[in-house]
Amino acid sequence: MRCFLYIPVLHAAFLASLLGFEKNVRPIIEHSCIKCHGGEKVKGKVDFSKILTQTDADAHFDLWETVESVLEAGEMPPEDEPPLSKADQKAIITWYRQRLEAPVEALPGDFRPRRLSGQEYRNTLRSLFGFDLKVAVAKAEQTVAGEESLVLKLLPTDPPGASGFVNDTRGARLSSVILDEYSHLSDAALETLFSKIKRETAAEFSRARAETLIRSFVPRAMRRPVPGEQVDKMIAALDGKDGEALIAATKFELKAVLMSPAFLYRGILMEGTPGKQQPVDPFELAERLSYFLWEDMPDEELAKAAANGSLSSPEALAVQVERMLLSPKARSLAESFGVQWLGLESLDELLQSDPIRLHALKTQPVDFLHYLFTEDRPVMEIIDSKITFVNQGTSGFYGKDRQRMARYAPTKGIERQTTPNQRLTLVDAEGRGGILTMPGILTMNEGPIQRGTWMLRQILGEQLGDPPADTPPIEPSPRGLNLSFRERFEIHRSNVTCARCHEKIDPLGFAFEAYDKNGQYLLASDRRKGNKETPPINASGKLPSGETFEDFAQLKSIFLTSQRETIVRNIVVRTLSYALCRKLERRDQPTVETITKNLCENNGTWKSLFIQIAGSLPFRETIIETATTTHEQ
Amino acid sequence: MSSNWNIERRTFLRGAAGALVPLPFLNLMERSAAATANQAGETKPPLRFVTLFKPNGVHPPSWNINGGTENDFRMSPLMAPFAKHKDDLLILDNMGDFGFSSHSNSTRRFLAGHHTNTKSASVDQIIADKIGGGTTHRSLELTTEGLFTNQIGCSYISYDSHGNPIPRESDPQLVFDRLFRNPMRDPKRRQETISLLDRVADDARSLQRKAGSEDQDTLDEYFTAVRETEQRLQNMTPATGTAGVDFSTLKRPEGCATLNEQVDAMLDILAMALWTDSTRCVSYMLGNSNSRMIFDFLGIKQQHHYLSHFFRNFSRSNIEALLKISLWHMEKFDYLLTKLKSYKDQNGPLLDHCVVLFGSGMGHSDNHTAQRIPIILAGKGGGMLKTGRYLRFAENQELSRLHLTLLQKFGVETDSYANTSSPLSGLDGGAFEEYQERPFETWVKSGGGKITVQGRLRMSDNLDEAKVFYVEVKDKAPVRVEVNFGDFHGFNLAYHVGTPITLTGNSSEKNGQILITKVTELKSLFGKSKPGKADG
Repeated sequence: MRCFLYIPVLHAAFLASLLGFEKNVRPIIEHSCIKCHGGEKVKGKVDFSKILTQTDADAHFDLWETVESVLEAGEMPPEDEPPLSKADQKAIITWYRQRLEAPVEALPGDFRPRRLSGQEYRNTLRSLFGFDLKVAVAKAEQTVAGEESLVLKLLPTDPPGASGFVNDTRGARLSSVILDEYSHLSDAALETLFSKIKRETAAEFSRARAETLIRSFVPRAMRRPVPGEQVDKMIAALDGKDGEALIAATKFELKAVLMSPAFLYRGILMEGTPGKQQPVDPFELAERLSYFLWEDMPDEELAKAAANGSLSSPEALAVQVERMLLSPKARSLAESFGVQWLGLESLDELLQSDPIRLHALKTQPVDFLHYLFTEDRPVMEIIDSKITFVNQGTSGFYGKDRQRMARYAPTKGIERQTTPNQRLTLVDAEGRGGILTMPGILTMNEGPIQRGTWMLRQILGEQLGDPPADTPPIEPSPRGLNLSFRERFEIHRSNVTCARCHEKIDPLGFAFEAYDKNGQYLLASDRRKGNKETPPINASGKLPSGETFEDFAQLKSIFLTSQRETIVRNIVVRTLSYALCRKLERRDQPTVETITKNLCENNGTWKSLFIQIAGSLPFRETIIETATTTHEQ
Repeated sequence: MSSNWNIERRTFLRGAAGALVPLPFLNLMERSAAATANQAGETKPPLRFVTLFKPNGVHPPSWNINGGTENDFRMSPLMAPFAKHKDDLLILDNMGDFGFSSHSNSTRRFLAGHHTNTKSASVDQIIADKIGGGTTHRSLELTTEGLFTNQIGCSYISYDSHGNPIPRESDPQLVFDRLFRNPMRDPKRRQETISLLDRVADDARSLQRKAGSEDQDTLDEYFTAVRETEQRLQNMTPATGTAGVDFSTLKRPEGCATLNEQVDAMLDILAMALWTDSTRCVSYMLGNSNSRMIFDFLGIKQQHHYLSHFFRNFSRSNIEALLKISLWHMEKFDYLLTKLKSYKDQNGPLLDHCVVLFGSGMGHSDNHTAQRIPIILAGKGGGMLKTGRYLRFAENQELSRLHLTLLQKFGVETDSYANTSSPLSGLDGGAFEEYQERPFETWVKSGGGKITVQGRLRMSDNLDEAKVFYVEVKDKAPVRVEVNFGDFHGFNLAYHVGTPITLTGNSSEKNGQILITKVTELKSLFGKSKPGKADG
């Protein structure tokens, strides 16, 4: 991601850029670009047809970053189309740069209710009922049950939204199929609830019992106080019923709550005034906080704080964040946010035939992230840390350090099993420390190109497009020449189209050459062994910035110094985006910059990041659009 | 032993407690029959194929049938729980392969014929393609436990046409819901759902009027989904499932507290699925091939796989525990057969139109031999099998030969399967090459407090007294052998079970029953090799 400088001073260039788009850029687009990008066709998913004004252009700001780079590289228009004049080219680039550096007013996002993701729904149901809906499966040693949550098993998997996170459910619309599953799961939960009630109390289910149940259930399900008359109406529906009929009527009322949009969506009951910017109401704020840190509904304490108005100050929010990070529920930060950010799900498919190895490789980064997130560690420790988490499946990667692990003695009849991770301080292990060289990360990214692409996207936050469809293949070694993969890629990079991305990807990827496909670090003694067939390992490279390095350790030093701000900014962008459940927009840039600056200057920690996000403008405020149409169903 | 396995605790019909046949006759079979009328105008009820997999091989001394011929045989002690179904069984012996077998290989063998057959479908899946017809569920793949992490192959018996494992379900409620709780198929639930949707839509509309500022798109999305669902439900024709059974009369199983309840519930559902013609092909694993389950509800503390290595982990209590578990498996087989017999129509019991394949993928559970793998077929398969017999083949028969025969009998046109192209003969009553035992004499000689007896050694039929053996003597009462642990272990009596021996020992007589209380000499008549070797 580019460095968006927040300069709170208006200057001439800014004023020019304000008007610049419609006057200076749009005509060029219409003349030279729109035919293929929004007119007759939409090539490469680039569509200019709806970008008519300066505001539209700002709303698609990522696009202009791409436009600038293809123009600079002379890739567009393509060879068989008339080229842009130098003046036109300059007009677009100048507008873009001025606009880029122009100050942006910090504004909160537009208010929009959002359906609970599968995980959020699962956790909310669990918190509401006090039990989990699980798939029945016999337990045995060395056996994994697969997806044990009935909710996650039945609901279709949520696709990640534009933000890259599944809690951004705007793209995953409610369908009739999902509604069927909600109905089914509500039935299952209510059936379990009533069989528990039956087992626990000898007396028949009474009308008084039903009333108590409904009065406590409804506000918790709605995650805010509910008007008395609404609940009274539900209770009145039980009139004159007893026995099985009373149970059926109570179930019906509760199911109506579980199927209502107020339960299934977040924010549907938010109180506010249309047409202006305003703080979100305290119950919405409590919900935002608990779904961010816990992926779950607010607990009693948070709900209480919302009700008595004590959530309004940033200090009170900070106290809540600290408290909530200590809860076991905070593990969702590592398990959902961390896993989705780093793309660790790709291990599931890759290692599905070896669940023990999958468990080892996947829980290691998750436990590490959980430690960073909840124990107040600096954000940059994700890149380098003296602490790691190791079990029987990963200890082989940690040299002499493994000797300090607690002894593992399998019980009778056990050959191999999943074991919990142990916290290990790194002293002797070579080539370790931080998440980048964890065996799971290196295993899921096979080869230098995948490894480089992953680093560039997930760690440095670069927005890489997909390779163009007409990418020339990597040429095989010419006869007689025994070129290495690296040398063949250097040839590939000499093509200007390819170079645009590969000059960034390749040095990062080849820096991992000393790690084999399982993530094993080849010690110096192994690395020097070169012969005709296998040349000695070369992990050196040169970044587009001109910085050079000999091996991954030196690249890591670059990350920790000159690339530090870029990495911290990416961390802020990802975390804020997860917290807000949406892709960031241009108006979020000031928030990103403020937090990034603060973290860089103070070697800030994850906890401090979470607290700053909770107190940030887009988290605490919103803009409610005026309803344009009145819907009558 | 499980004390309540045969109590009919579960019924699916509301208010019909304890009834073995929970459904009234609903012309189910007539309807199916009409659909499958053949060209000659004959009507035949549909065929079903069910497989029930027993984990961890068997304890051969208690499983194998001693001696016996096709129509004259005595069922073994472990077969006692389902001995009452003798007329519906076709017990196969000498099924297997060369050498020894890993758990993983033996699991693949059970339905795919051979462990190298990794690129094609298992036999149940090919049969499902053939007979599945228009049923709602082409096949069901069921199990009790999760995936065994060390060797995934131990967890699957059913494989798709690429040889990839097919995911299995373990939760009876989940399977029940998939089969019978689809609101689309149940008028009562359909109506319930429609009134609920009316209600939530009403609530949501008042919300919309009140709030006014909400994002309209979101509520639109919600209303659209509600409307679509309502329309879908309303447009349903009032048909009631494939077979005319009102599914709303079926009671959903409750959550299961023990493995025993889980398996009973699943077997109930399995039988119900066949009876309602919701599916015609089911494979069910009572456990992973090397199941580590702990049968705490039987009072057992060690895991099954450990106990199944009964020779290397030998102790009398371990043997007793293993036999309890094995008997429980046999009781589940009985439970299934009893269920399938309980559903009747004008074509006879449902079981008559099923082929149930019960067994394992290995023989001896301790040394993993691939010979004498336990395999029983139950049900006549609409006449394709001649049951009530015991087929002990002269030579080891690979499982793939059985599979090829089943494929052909189910109408799949093929002349080879896995590693074989010669079907197994004899299943339909045709000729087969029967095992011929070398003849031997049996006798008892006694005098001076000593006794020598020659005959076939067998275990007591009562597995609660697994330390008691008998030597069979023609036309005489068998000689009972009840010795201390030293003799039991030292002479390794269990190892010689099923074979003729000459046994000398101290004897006494109790109520006319000759009893050996101390063994002084044991000779194997045909020089059976030392204990612990392949054919133990």
